[in-house]
Amino acid sequence: MSAIEEVNSHFSTFPDFVCQKLQIASESFTFVGLKSLINFPQTMYMVRDPLLTATINNLMVIDVFAGLGQPISVQSETIIAEIMDGMLVAIHDASGMGVSIYPVPQPNSRTISLPTMENSIGGATSSFNENLESNITLLRSHLNCPELQVKAYNFGGNVKSRVILCYMEETIDPILLDNLTQKLESNQDLEIATMKELSLILDFSRYSFVTHYMTYELPQNAVRAIKNGKAVLFIERMPFAIVLPSIFSDLFMSEDDMNHPPIYAWLLRSLRFIGTLTTLILPGLYVALVSVNPDVLRFELAHSIARSRLDVPYPAIIEALLLLCILELIMEAIIRLPNSIGPTITMVGGIVLGQAVVEAKLVSNLLIIILAATTIANAAVVGFQNTYALRLFKYLLLFLSAFLGVLGLLSGLLILCAYVAGIRTLGVPYLQLIRAKGDSYE
Amino acid sequence: MKKRILVCMVFVILLGGCWDNKDINHRALPIAMGISYQQGNYEVFLDIPTVSDKNEGIQVISAKGDTISAAVNKISMNMESQVDLLHLKVLIVDKAFATLGLSEITASTIRSRHISPKTMFVICDEPLDQFFKGINNMKNGDGKEIYDFFQKNSGWNPEIAHTPVWKVFRSIHSYTNDVVLPIIKSGESTAIQSMGSGILRNGKMVSRLSNEQTLLYNVFDGNSLDGKIEVMGKATVQIVSSRIHNESKFVNNQPVLNSTLHLKVIIMDVIGVPSIEVIKTELQTLLRRILDQIFKKMERANADIFGIGQHYREDLPRTELAEWRTKYLPQAKINLEVKTTIRNTGNLKLK
Repeated sequence: MSAIEEVNSHFSTFPDFVCQKLQIASESFTFVGLKSLINFPQTMYMVRDPLLTATINNLMVIDVFAGLGQPISVQSETIIAEIMDGMLVAIHDASGMGVSIYPVPQPNSRTISLPTMENSIGGATSSFNENLESNITLLRSHLNCPELQVKAYNFGGNVKSRVILCYMEETIDPILLDNLTQKLESNQDLEIATMKELSLILDFSRYSFVTHYMTYELPQNAVRAIKNGKAVLFIERMPFAIVLPSIFSDLFMSEDDMNHPPIYAWLLRSLRFIGTLTTLILPGLYVALVSVNPDVLRFELAHSIARSRLDVPYPAIIEALLLLCILELIMEAIIRLPNSIGPTITMVGGIVLGQAVVEAKLVSNLLIIILAATTIANAAVVGFQNTYALRLFKYLLLFLSAFLGVLGLLSGLLILCAYVAGIRTLGVPYLQLIRAKGDSYE
Repeated sequence: MKKRILVCMVFVILLGGCWDNKDINHRALPIAMGISYQQGNYEVFLDIPTVSDKNEGIQVISAKGDTISAAVNKISMNMESQVDLLHLKVLIVDKAFATLGLSEITASTIRSRHISPKTMFVICDEPLDQFFKGINNMKNGDGKEIYDFFQKNSGWNPEIAHTPVWKVFRSIHSYTNDVVLPIIKSGESTAIQSMGSGILRNGKMVSRLSNEQTLLYNVFDGNSLDGKIEVMGKATVQIVSSRIHNESKFVNNQPVLNSTLHLKVIIMDVIGVPSIEVIKTELQTLLRRILDQIFKKMERANADIFGIGQHYREDLPRTELAEWRTKYLPQAKINLEVKTTIRNTGNLKLK
């Protein structure tokens, strides 16, 4: 059985498989490909044109045919792999020569459009999408200098996916680059389709609470990261750039700040810092002050808090957990709801539940205010990956405050500082500002 | 490692004692505590603002006991919530008790750690049960008057002495420092009425100052304030800033203190048409007269309320310093010079 017959039988049940004969003068060719990946009419037109011209001008058709693309060995496995990769495979029937031709592809991605997860107030608004090539195009148009290095890696055994690594030779930290390329090169047999698989390849701890990477939809953010000595990864079908490593300042600094006057940029960053502290401390502080250390409060405040908690049946920690649980549920529920139903949940959750829960004397008024402030402050941080860590850490502080009061709150903050100080991503410590500099720790 | 973390967590939970925490609405937060002493028995009054929706009134609860903590415990036992003295702002003793001596209760207050050392110490000019009945009057307001009365950002006035518990404790154990405590009683048209202040020596009340003298005491003691002084029949001035410069020396084994008091005042009222110079000189003689009165009282009572002895600590050995109040203070010569600047005369001009 010839190779082409084997290919035909392999694809026999595929509805999008095309095997087409083409007769040019006395030579006959077989073209095979998947029409779901290839725009066939245009591709055939593109292929036939040079062959016809060759016959008219009495050139060797076979030479022109060989120049259409990459010569491949005619074996069924090679042909199948090329077809699955979206290439058009052409075989000269008489000589059995095979060529893999880059075709006119079927459009398989949205066009470059507005970001869906990020917002830009002062800068460009075109965002990365699922198409690797257009992502590189966007990156290059924002950083059109010859120093930009672009390296491609192929991952996966059965399921293939391409990963592109971009960085600038003179700015990137050598330790980071060494670690990164070594990890990428040694794990090329693994599949990479999700961020979890990427974390596995890059050897990140499974029990890490703080994100090791940032994802950006806006190219200017990725470019800023490259300029600051970080590496950017693009994975096929991932509509964002993965910036490695993430450092402490990523919580507060955004490229968009650079489009504002410096004073306002710094004020905005301080605001985000205050937001971080607020969302971490406030629920714990409430519990500490209400149930363990009321002596810290001014008398007037203590009296009015006592009044607002008059008929509340639960201790402060239960009260706070109850409402926090509902808030987490609302935040989680709203992600997957269609846009048309989302506002209903907000209204029911915010107004109806909030009001009713106070009137039913399940929680105190003050707690509603505090938890609202906490949730709002949580969103002030740059990058949604970072909000997860803050959402979790506030529970640590909450429990410690319930046990040990203000002292517990303080020791909780100390534990957090120690934890954050110990994080390293690919040899780069987490606690750094602006430049990601590696140290020789690992 | 994991085991160690687990052990730590268990200890945090077990040793935290979180089940003993009482929420703020299950604690009674008294703002004032009255203590009287009769025949070896303490009677404690607690002034607890009621926590209710309508936010009305106070609750006055009293109990007797051999010690203060025994009496407080008795109240806590009989109340529906736990008494938490950490928010206590005013400690009131009656005059008889103050004359008898406050060193014991000051020591127990500092020792117990349940009462903040910043709590104000106050002497009451009438029996405590009567006083608490007086301020527990609904028409007086929400029951927190006693707290507001001594708050510098609300009801406090420069005519009222301002002495926290730690200063009393210091005066008891110091050779060279005494304090004055405010004296109050329940008023007729207001909840509380200031009755001047009492001079405390080693924790015992030995003499009294009037309201006017207390104002001058506060000025000379260096508390920044904006008290108003009436210059006999001529004008009323308001003190806007005061500064004291002291020079201490020994002359013939007799302490001499040269004090210069710089006052900046503004004129509030004038009667007739006095000139600025007249007001100035009148003010200076008036201040000197009142302060001389205070110094006389001080010498008679052997109580160093201005802490004059502080300036001589380096000149005297400790054995001599122990006799500061009795041996040196009565001989002390204080040369006071008052320099006043009239900063402005209001919107009207004076000749």
